Amino acid sequence: MPSGGPADSVGLVKGAGGFAIAWLGLCLAACSNDPYPNERGDEKVLYLPFAEPPKTLDPAEAYSTVDHSITARVFDTLLEYHYLKRPYELFGSLAEAVPEPRQLEDGRVEYRFELRADLRFAADECFARFGTQSPDLPNSRRITADDVVFELRRLADPAVGSPVIDQFALLSGFADFGARLEARRKADAAFARRRADEQYRELGGFVGARSEGERTVVVTLDQPYPQILYWFAMNFTSPLPWEAVAHYDGKDGRDPLAEHPVASGPFQLVRYEKRARIVLEKNPLWHGVRHPEWRAPGTVFPALDDVPNLSPAEKAGYATSVGQQLPRLARIEYIREEESIPAFSKFLQGYYDISSIARENFNQVVHEGGLSDEMRSRGMQLEKTVTAAVFYIGFNLDDPQIGSAGGERTRLLRQAMSLAIDSTEYARLFMNGRGIAAQSPLPPGLFGYDEAYRNPYRQPSVERARELLIRAGYPGGIDPKTGRPLHLTFDVGDTSPEGAVRFHFWTNQWRQIGIDVELAATNYNKFQEKVRDGAYQLFTWGWVADYPDPENFYFLLTTRMARSVSGGPNSANFKNAAFDETFERMKAMENGPERRQLLERMRGILQEECPWIPLFHPEDYALLHGFAKDVKPIGISSPVIAKYYDVDAARRRELRTAWNEPVLWPAALFVLALVALLVPAVRTFLRERQ
Amino acid sequence: MLAYLIRRIGYGGLVVLGVLFFLFSLFFLVTTPDDIARRAVGDKAMPQVIERWKVNHGYDRPLWPGVEHPRDNLLVDHFEKMLTFDFGKSDADGVPLSRRIREGALPSLLLTTPMFVLGVLLAIGISLVVALFRESYLDRLGVFWSVLGMSVPLVIYIIAGQFVFGRLLRWFPISGFDWDPQVLWRFLAMPVVIGLLAGLGSDVRFFRTVFIEEINRDYVRTARAKGAGELRVLGAHVLRNALIPVLTNVVMAIPFLFTGSLLLEAAFGIPGLGSLTVEAINANDFATLRAMVFLDSLILIGGQILTDLSYTWVDPRVRLD
Repeated sequence: MPSGGPADSVGLVKGAGGFAIAWLGLCLAACSNDPYPNERGDEKVLYLPFAEPPKTLDPAEAYSTVDHSITARVFDTLLEYHYLKRPYELFGSLAEAVPEPRQLEDGRVEYRFELRADLRFAADECFARFGTQSPDLPNSRRITADDVVFELRRLADPAVGSPVIDQFALLSGFADFGARLEARRKADAAFARRRADEQYRELGGFVGARSEGERTVVVTLDQPYPQILYWFAMNFTSPLPWEAVAHYDGKDGRDPLAEHPVASGPFQLVRYEKRARIVLEKNPLWHGVRHPEWRAPGTVFPALDDVPNLSPAEKAGYATSVGQQLPRLARIEYIREEESIPAFSKFLQGYYDISSIARENFNQVVHEGGLSDEMRSRGMQLEKTVTAAVFYIGFNLDDPQIGSAGGERTRLLRQAMSLAIDSTEYARLFMNGRGIAAQSPLPPGLFGYDEAYRNPYRQPSVERARELLIRAGYPGGIDPKTGRPLHLTFDVGDTSPEGAVRFHFWTNQWRQIGIDVELAATNYNKFQEKVRDGAYQLFTWGWVADYPDPENFYFLLTTRMARSVSGGPNSANFKNAAFDETFERMKAMENGPERRQLLERMRGILQEECPWIPLFHPEDYALLHGFAKDVKPIGISSPVIAKYYDVDAARRRELRTAWNEPVLWPAALFVLALVALLVPAVRTFLRERQ
Repeated sequence: MLAYLIRRIGYGGLVVLGVLFFLFSLFFLVTTPDDIARRAVGDKAMPQVIERWKVNHGYDRPLWPGVEHPRDNLLVDHFEKMLTFDFGKSDADGVPLSRRIREGALPSLLLTTPMFVLGVLLAIGISLVVALFRESYLDRLGVFWSVLGMSVPLVIYIIAGQFVFGRLLRWFPISGFDWDPQVLWRFLAMPVVIGLLAGLGSDVRFFRTVFIEEINRDYVRTARAKGAGELRVLGAHVLRNALIPVLTNVVMAIPFLFTGSLLLEAAFGIPGLGSLTVEAINANDFATLRAMVFLDSLILIGGQILTDLSYTWVDPRVRLD
């Protein structure tokens, strides 16, 4: 009898069906949307999504927000920002205190940083390789002033390619050291092959960064630059062991230094799969952990008595945390989420503790500036922070049509164009209102910001703009030379349809006063090329502060930083002697009434000359679950302080269980539907065969 | 056959050289070394930092060969590196690319291999069933679902899948990846099912057409007349004789398992090679882009040769000359 008759078919169908149902049943029994099934009990782990992998964890090179989200947690800095105080205030972290500047006889300025005693690096195999570990702690050693000096020398090293060499060029001998290093390496191949620390030592370093004894770092500047202290609150100046640079060279299977930081911060990197998952764990050798009796600033949660900027409600929220030992988390897990929607869904399920709010989710989360009822019922919290940043439209003042060469006429034109722009409406339409209208480059929270100040050319008024256009010689926006509307070009580095809608918002506002502004949208590379070549009239850009000082905003408009002079970030090519002179005086001053006066003078010059149309200071909205505690966004680009964060893991587990019970009945329905679909056909087939 | 293989490999080599040249020309038509440097060090960097980066990464050299620099230029360096499989380091983050590719290949394979194997088996199985029940409501339903499945973009499957299976039913994590074998299947289950479903429509429709064409041939009628059961007719006769068009479709896909799936990997957070090329384009990362394009072109040519060879395996009448 031939095989494969109807009986066989029935058997096969039954067998396959049975197997499929059993398999489905088994799978469903194990089904859960929990992405962390191996989580250990109620361990305090903070879960965060990240969209873009860090570029580098080398403290001399890391300069992006995403880099800093890791480096700022594993590298400790000599100074640190107070977690709660606004305006921002520095205090000693690895250093005992914030050093006072000392004027030297030759005009230079010196800062002496005294390091705390008994600071140690996190354990790492690089110390054992060179036999430099401390006798009492395997795989670690004490931090000395030389480790800070070594890192400062790395900043000057051309082979490292630090992005901040310009900012550190004021250190005495900094540029010269880099030049000597490069020349010697070119001339002497044997020298070039030696370890970096040996090369630095042989060349004698530079006088601007030196150590005195084990604990004193002496930094000397060629001229006063009080803002240098802010750079000591960033990772560029964190101590780095020479052993790490020598060992982690990316050769013979060893990690590159960019992927293997050896640091002394409250957390240490234990897993670095940068395209999927990054894990930090509490560093048992961090000084705050090793010496809880120190109770030093930055090792315990700060007291609230001297934090006047906190509201009574905020103080009540932080009250139970005061004095608690840091870091409060055992681990931080970063999970890669390239897309915002899955990330937000997992946040709602309780699998992330903190989330930003994507535009598509905004209305679900925020209602009339506060949390929506749905979010409130889930115990969410909303943290709003105005970022120390400014976004603006700039005029290229080298351009004959709108630039400085046109004198009063072009100045009035720029003022009129500024009056036509309504950035509050822009923020409402395109940013869900997450931005406050800018009156000057300075954002709130910085010294010199004046809440009461109103820039007369930033109060949108089409009528006033038209009046100014008449005075500028463009009545109704008509260019008398051509008899047609004044034609200008607005260059943007974004060709997306969404970008076009945004930019057309501005051009339409100028059209209201009769000016024809053509949008020239190119890709970002082409836009950069145009800016390099000076072939642009209007542009839009933004600046996020490196540190919270007005100098870090006003330097953007100095002649020295003009794109056409030095290729610097002053793309407006604003060159004003009075502004420059005031800036030079202001930048070297301590905060006080005199500095405030100078800042007001500079603000006045910008108001009248109008090289920029300041648009808005963006506002960050962070959404937190009720079980995530004491999270205060700091609002500047570099420090992301997580040692103060806390999480109630038990409560989180309860809520996750309640929110994520699998719904299994649709599986049974699916199987039934499949059977109902197949049975008639099989029966007909069998009947026909028989 | 050896002569054929040598000829095909020779042609393939020329194609790869052409691809490398066009890649270089097109990339530097729209991007300058300054742009590469700026993306690597950030917008805030001063000009001297950009220049230093270019020197450190060899982008300070001229793009094209000239009388004064016949060898020391980017084009010659580009060919030398690719043809010796020296991928160097990523321009964006300095990570050695051989390591990056090695690390990315396995997650891609973990996603695409089950998707491919299950997809082929299921597509063949369903096609045989609808071919068996041709002209019945099952056949029409099968064709309807196939056309519908082909018409829906993958991104819709992903969004719907994450919403239904991850958020509403809570059967699988919405996204993520973990090397722990006990956990890994949870993360891969949903993208595999979604990828499988998304690809099923076109395969079922194609295979069904092939099978129905075979089913109507004389030898099938003869087999049935001899009393062969329907399963034997389908499995031993129809399937075997329909293998050439099936193989053309299937074997070409095998090498691309290695390069992963862009959308699935991006949406589910799988650190494979699928999204690496797009990330490289967005980051002006020429080093990564050229390595991936080079590998893709090698894989494509390898896949074509493999497909040709597979014909001789399933049909001894086929000769490669």
